[in-house]
Amino acid sequence: MRGIRGRRVVGPLLGCLLALTASAACASAAPGAALTIGLPLEPPNLDPTATTAEATEDVVYSNLFEGLTRVAEDGSVIAGLAQRWTISSDGLDYRFELRSGVRFHDGSPLTALDAKYSLDRARGRDSTNPLKDLLAAIDRVEVDGELGLRIHLSHPLADLLTYLGWGNLVVMSPLTSARAATLPVGTGPFRLRAWHKGDSIVLERFDGYWGRPARLARVTFRIVPDPSTALAALRAGDIDGFANFPAPESLAELAQDARFTVAVGSTEGETLLAMNNARAPFNDLRVRRALSQAIDRNAIIKGAMYGYGQPIGSHFPPHHPAYIDLTGRYPFDPAAARALLASAGFPHGFEVTLKLPPPYYARRSGEIIAAELAVIGVRARIENIEWAQWLEQVFKNRDFDLTVVSHTEPLDYDIYARPGYYFGYSNPAYNAVLEQLSRAREPAQRRQLLGEVQRTLADDAVNVFLFELPKLGVWRADLHGMWREAPVQGLDLTGAWLDAPAAAPRAGAANSGWPALLLAAAALVLLTAMALVRHVTPRYLAGRIASLALTLLAASVIIFILVSVLPGDPASYMMGLNASPAAIVALKREYGLDAGALRQYFSWLGALLHGDLGLSYTYRVPVTSLLRERLAVSAPLALYALALTVMIAFPLALAAASQARRRTGGALMGVAQLGLAIPNFWLGILLILVFAVQLHWAPAGGFPGWDAGLGAALGALTLPAIALAVPQGCVLARVLYAALREALAEDYVRTARAKGLTPRQALLRHALPNALIPVLTVVGLQFSFLIAGAVLVETVFSLPGVGRLILQATEQRDLIVVRSVVLLLVAAVVAVNFLVELASLVADPRLRRGPSS
Amino acid sequence: MMMARDRTPLDAPLIGAALICVVALLAALASLAGLFDNGLALNIDARLSAPVAAHWFGTDALGRDVLAMVGAGARISIGVALGAVGAGLAVGVPLGLAAAAIGGAVDELLSRFNDLVFAVPSLLLALLLAAALGPGPLDAVVALGIFNVPVFARVTRAGAGVLLTRDFVLAARLAGKGRLRIAVEHVLPNLSGTLIVQATIQLALAIAAEAGLSYIGLGAQPPAASWGRMLSEAQTLAAIAPWLVYSPGAALCLTVLAFGVLGERLRARFDPRSRG
Repeated sequence: MRGIRGRRVVGPLLGCLLALTASAACASAAPGAALTIGLPLEPPNLDPTATTAEATEDVVYSNLFEGLTRVAEDGSVIAGLAQRWTISSDGLDYRFELRSGVRFHDGSPLTALDAKYSLDRARGRDSTNPLKDLLAAIDRVEVDGELGLRIHLSHPLADLLTYLGWGNLVVMSPLTSARAATLPVGTGPFRLRAWHKGDSIVLERFDGYWGRPARLARVTFRIVPDPSTALAALRAGDIDGFANFPAPESLAELAQDARFTVAVGSTEGETLLAMNNARAPFNDLRVRRALSQAIDRNAIIKGAMYGYGQPIGSHFPPHHPAYIDLTGRYPFDPAAARALLASAGFPHGFEVTLKLPPPYYARRSGEIIAAELAVIGVRARIENIEWAQWLEQVFKNRDFDLTVVSHTEPLDYDIYARPGYYFGYSNPAYNAVLEQLSRAREPAQRRQLLGEVQRTLADDAVNVFLFELPKLGVWRADLHGMWREAPVQGLDLTGAWLDAPAAAPRAGAANSGWPALLLAAAALVLLTAMALVRHVTPRYLAGRIASLALTLLAASVIIFILVSVLPGDPASYMMGLNASPAAIVALKREYGLDAGALRQYFSWLGALLHGDLGLSYTYRVPVTSLLRERLAVSAPLALYALALTVMIAFPLALAAASQARRRTGGALMGVAQLGLAIPNFWLGILLILVFAVQLHWAPAGGFPGWDAGLGAALGALTLPAIALAVPQGCVLARVLYAALREALAEDYVRTARAKGLTPRQALLRHALPNALIPVLTVVGLQFSFLIAGAVLVETVFSLPGVGRLILQATEQRDLIVVRSVVLLLVAAVVAVNFLVELASLVADPRLRRGPSS
Repeated sequence: MMMARDRTPLDAPLIGAALICVVALLAALASLAGLFDNGLALNIDARLSAPVAAHWFGTDALGRDVLAMVGAGARISIGVALGAVGAGLAVGVPLGLAAAAIGGAVDELLSRFNDLVFAVPSLLLALLLAAALGPGPLDAVVALGIFNVPVFARVTRAGAGVLLTRDFVLAARLAGKGRLRIAVEHVLPNLSGTLIVQATIQLALAIAAEAGLSYIGLGAQPPAASWGRMLSEAQTLAAIAPWLVYSPGAALCLTVLAFGVLGERLRARFDPRSRG
């Protein structure tokens, strides 16, 4: 029988599948309570002294790294690594006394040398520290005894003690600071245990901590970019809490639920409709005031934030003691706004663009703002852009009309005095007030000056001040010690504890020999083909492989060009909002981004040929290890979905083909037609609604890792696999059905029937083996699709797969990851198709005579 | 729906599919004419209303009428799909004809190009293209159009290859016509049926692909209504407002199904061998 030989090829592949499935590692448990916290964004790296990424500080600030001082929940400055300090009367000399007995996570003791090193590093020439410009006030830093530190300022800096308590100025050891991006070594009560890229960061209690030890044994920060997954994961108990929950619409519901505590506080985030003051028509005060009157803050707070968030009238947080309420300065009045516009020479309004970065508050507010502006004749065209583009276009190049963004740094009113800041605002009177403020140390005087700051910004209507970004805390009711307020960027878990220990934590990187196994499978198919098919000679193989290599080379050029023209500068993205230009240049040099395109292409290709996929810009780890982690999700998911696809397709097609009357068979194929029209991401959402939200049979999203046990891991992949398999199974069923009908019409089937076989026997023994050949080709294509094209389903279920890696890397402008991974996927598709071609040759002797193409 | 007899010239699935396609096209036209604008206006006070008489499909988080949004969403879906398939036809058919008529190196080059495009996972390339060009409907047209080029090139090449061996081509050649002229004047008209069928099927695929791009935020941008984006916005609200998930998904599914069935039925009528 012709089809039989094909099974010899399938055999080894099946063996590989089983070996892969069995390679799941065992779970490890630790004593004490473990906590899983959801983060909406993954930190680009774990070095808070190198970026302003909020997510970095959420993970490491005060948990892992500590500074000389510390910001308490009420915003006051308290002792940190320095237990006491004195300040000279002119405010220029600070002397700190460090605690004794403090140890880094690697066991080395903390001395004043480490503190001096950290400050000097932050203000050094090659520093990429976001506070570099502010630190210019420091003249010199000196060590005074083993634990004494002196800071001499060249001019007063009233907020120095606060800055020293920020994540950007934490203390590191000169021995470990270079690797802090991925292997942070601090003095905090937690240390890094593992970082599973795209999925989670795990901290564990540091037993050598100098102060009160953490009560939690382990903290896992789980990356949950999608608000709906966040909600589902919280309900499912996969995540214990969010310091800032990304879906305000669900808070009322969660507050009713006795299982959760909802704690709404405030952040330091002034949310603005920022206007380009340097560009017409916003260089006209009347226009800016008109926009301020056209916007109904309450509608935005209600519509976009579901009532959370306090309205603001200037760039200042309402919870600050020096806050003055200026929200009545420009009352909502579209008619007055129209009159103002007319007096400025725009009786019919004008057209502008409104660029919106990804956070939900910006996108949702933006839609309402555009509708409100339309009322006064200002036609705002919305452009949703990624952070990388926002940083490049709006922040760096100041190429924008309007944008919505929240400025989350505390005490950041100084940005209005920075030359070249993206608002394009400049007012010497304002700068003078700030100058006075930096010298003022009397509380009453400071308060009066801070009032002046707020009034000036409101009078000039620099931006439309919308609302203070709320901190929407949601966590398990038995979790205590979480911060309600966020006076500093960070997520301080040092005082958190759980009444009851959580379920067994998970850790450890999923690490298996995927590439080796795949290579082995490929070699097996090749050898089988060479043994069985005469014309599959080394020469034929060499010819085919050369032609495939040419295809890949062409693909590499296209991918390189495509990726190079992606708008947005990767270096600016990595450095964050407040990076100095010098720091960006330094980073570009480090990553070879300053070389010419041709040189970059050849060095990339050269490294690839040596098996080096490069170093991720954002994660600062080899792309190989990123890819391996993601393949540990994508490859089993693809195999799982493929198995389901076959399990759907074969019964359906065989049942349809075995119908004597074509009409019934046709009806079954009609079902298949419907099935293949269902978009897999919609099916995924429906499956979540039914099986996760209503029935609680399966998790709504996320991947617990293979270490959590085979059952948990496969459970997390089941709904995604079904969502992928239903449309694919219907495609395959139709291909198989068509092939079966064709085979059934052949002479040999008639002969078999004439010899006395039942229709069923004829179908299974004669028609099916022959129909398998086109099916094999389609299965090969489907496998490629499943491994590379699952990005939509991975998005629905928040799975850290290869598709999401590419999507995230594209958003973060991690060009090297995009390039290398896409090219590898293309190579995989080409290789799979080639193997299928060989397997078809083995299975079908008719193809052997003349190989096509 | 499946009651039709085999050889009826117009069977029920065909009629049903054609009807849905017409409805989708009408919705797209109505949206162009601004008929849905009233329902698309924000009304924060009426948000997240379950389906009621005033709002058959309910309202969304900003108080817009979901029925109007679904109707308006047809414009982007159909518009992008027509653009992408049109681009595929405009570039692919001449390429295929040239390859068939000239043969040799041109033919080889085309099949290499086809291999190359087919080797790149379509969604990934679309994602990169959309990111490179900046998100928006026009960019979705380009990204999806690129995948339609080799499809039409291949169909044209295969069909033309057969037609070029026919007697009427020989007759034309004897009459002194050049190869390219024969391809355009004699081969192309005979391919139109095949191309229309293929275009209908490609429309179904392009509508689904556009929704996917919009779902991950790379397709149509707000405030333009789009089924894919409606679904991504509905996801957080699914537990409290499940109607936001049903109607855009059902509209998408029905439209893809209708264009798919229409294409297949038309093909069955043009080519009785493929009937199944």
